[in-house]
Amino acid sequence: MMTEQGQVLSALLEGKFICQVSDEMSWRFLKANGNAAQLEPHLNLLNRTLSTTAEGDVFFASYLTIGEAERKILIQQFQETTSYLVPLVEWLLLVQQANESDMPVTMGNAIRLNELLTTIEDTPAYTEQLEKISRYKIFGSASVSADGQLKQVFKRLCDLGYLIKPNPDKQIYLATGRVEHLYEMIRFIDETEALSLAEQADAAIQQGSLI
Amino acid sequence: MSQVLLQAGSRLLNALGRHSDLIMQAYINGSVSAREYSPKVLEQLVQLGVLWRPEAQSDLRLKSAVRTLLEGSLQDERNRNINTNIGAAIASLKTLTEHYKEALQHQRYNDATAYMSDLTEHTYQLSETLSNSVRVMFSRINNEFGYVSSVEAKIRENELAQEQVTDLLGQLECFRFDELSELAGSNRELRHLLVVSLQQRFSLAAQELSVVQARLLDLLGRFREFRGRTRLLKGFLLHMEQHPDFTPGNYPNLTQVPVLFNQSRSVIKPAASNVNNVEHEADYHAIVGALNYVHKQHKAPEEQVESQEINVTEQASVTLEKDPLHQAVEAYFVDVIDSGQAKTALEYYHEHELSFDPEVWIYQVIGGYQGLDDEDKQYFALDAQGKNDTRFTGNFYINDVTLGLR
Repeated sequence: MMTEQGQVLSALLEGKFICQVSDEMSWRFLKANGNAAQLEPHLNLLNRTLSTTAEGDVFFASYLTIGEAERKILIQQFQETTSYLVPLVEWLLLVQQANESDMPVTMGNAIRLNELLTTIEDTPAYTEQLEKISRYKIFGSASVSADGQLKQVFKRLCDLGYLIKPNPDKQIYLATGRVEHLYEMIRFIDETEALSLAEQADAAIQQGSLI
Repeated sequence: MSQVLLQAGSRLLNALGRHSDLIMQAYINGSVSAREYSPKVLEQLVQLGVLWRPEAQSDLRLKSAVRTLLEGSLQDERNRNINTNIGAAIASLKTLTEHYKEALQHQRYNDATAYMSDLTEHTYQLSETLSNSVRVMFSRINNEFGYVSSVEAKIRENELAQEQVTDLLGQLECFRFDELSELAGSNRELRHLLVVSLQQRFSLAAQELSVVQARLLDLLGRFREFRGRTRLLKGFLLHMEQHPDFTPGNYPNLTQVPVLFNQSRSVIKPAASNVNNVEHEADYHAIVGALNYVHKQHKAPEEQVESQEINVTEQASVTLEKDPLHQAVEAYFVDVIDSGQAKTALEYYHEHELSFDPEVWIYQVIGGYQGLDDEDKQYFALDAQGKNDTRFTGNFYINDVTLGLR
């Protein structure tokens, strides 16, 4: 049996994101006073350090010092991430729109696959959108039915750690802290590249209303 | 008088009961269509004050008193209006108190009792209004304004609710307990009504409203955050549409890599098993026991063996050398057949000067006889010669066997 500290440490070293949804025990452990500081030396030994995102609610391991080898890995990772951004954002918006509450997907949100499927199948625009999303390389669906496409998309998202399926028998998915990380990344890109995305969206909405 | 009132009241309630489906229809749809119900019934309900016609052309609607009753009893969340007119209620309380005190002074006890019951009614009504308003606020917060779908609408609803809370809090300031307590003077009943009961309700309402206000601000913050996120996502997609070749800067190439993009790779791989560890023996056994199945599952696809030329030339024949003992036994059998005479095994043994152990020879002969097919066995007869044990019955020592033809 591993101690709790050991479990958390190995989860971090595996490159997992620890949040309240994906692993509540570990998350509580890291949130508790002093535990994170105790883990730090172990991580430092392997040139890693504990980092947080989403206002300290999501933990992951990052490199302590970045040499040539680490930089190479990070660049590769970054290129992968940026290529995933558009499909993921389109998926987030699809779920938000198809969900009648019009709430963005955030950490801890429950997504009921069957309800989502019904809405998507009933609305041709959503069906088209889903078809487009599922064809992206990240999801790689070859299915012709909306059902198969949606299931493949959700399966891939589970693999990538954006969703978890708490009960294997039920088609209910929970959004994890990685979704928050995704928002943070987009926000970061927005700020760094001075894109003022929110203003663009506002302007588009106003134009739409004028037409 | 009270008898008449009783009758009228029960007539009204009966009418409500009789036409309950019509009334619920009006409650849910907002109005009654005159075509679906008989004009007589509608007329009766109008006279009883259950329905009314706001304008000559419009449909019949429920009176607000009935609607309020239903909303209150059904805990319907659609009930969104909040009666903030506390100042007026307090003013009427004060007036009634004055009436009551005057009646007491002039010793008109009947009037005083009537005023008192009126006053009690008004006071409790005021408390009820207060608690009802707070309840409505809470029910709206609890389902996060679930009755409107878009985030924008939720934000507007939230702003409305905040205004109402502010209003309510402003109205609560109308309570001046020093005035009320002065008014109540030393009258015990008045003090109880105006000071104790109202004060309790007042402090409760004030407390709950402050909670409501905090929660509303909290929710507003969350809704704004949602709106911000939605805009961010939409803006991003829009930007990508307008600038398809947009790629963000290569942040990992910066000297200071932002934490967001500094994510270490997995370093832990599964450990290997140590078969020398005695402690794990039981586990390994279990694993190996389960392995059989796994093995079948993971069978690698058989490689296609390319057909080879078949060599059809004669293969070197292989002769199997028989055991000499066996051969000797066979020779003995053949000898018996040839001569047609019975011969004991030991006789043959001595004749041919065989080199085996005599006991082994006899065993082999018995074995050879038993090993024959049933058909072959019929031609031979095997007799054992020997003697019984001197001491124990049932033990027979074989010295020799005689093999003959039948």
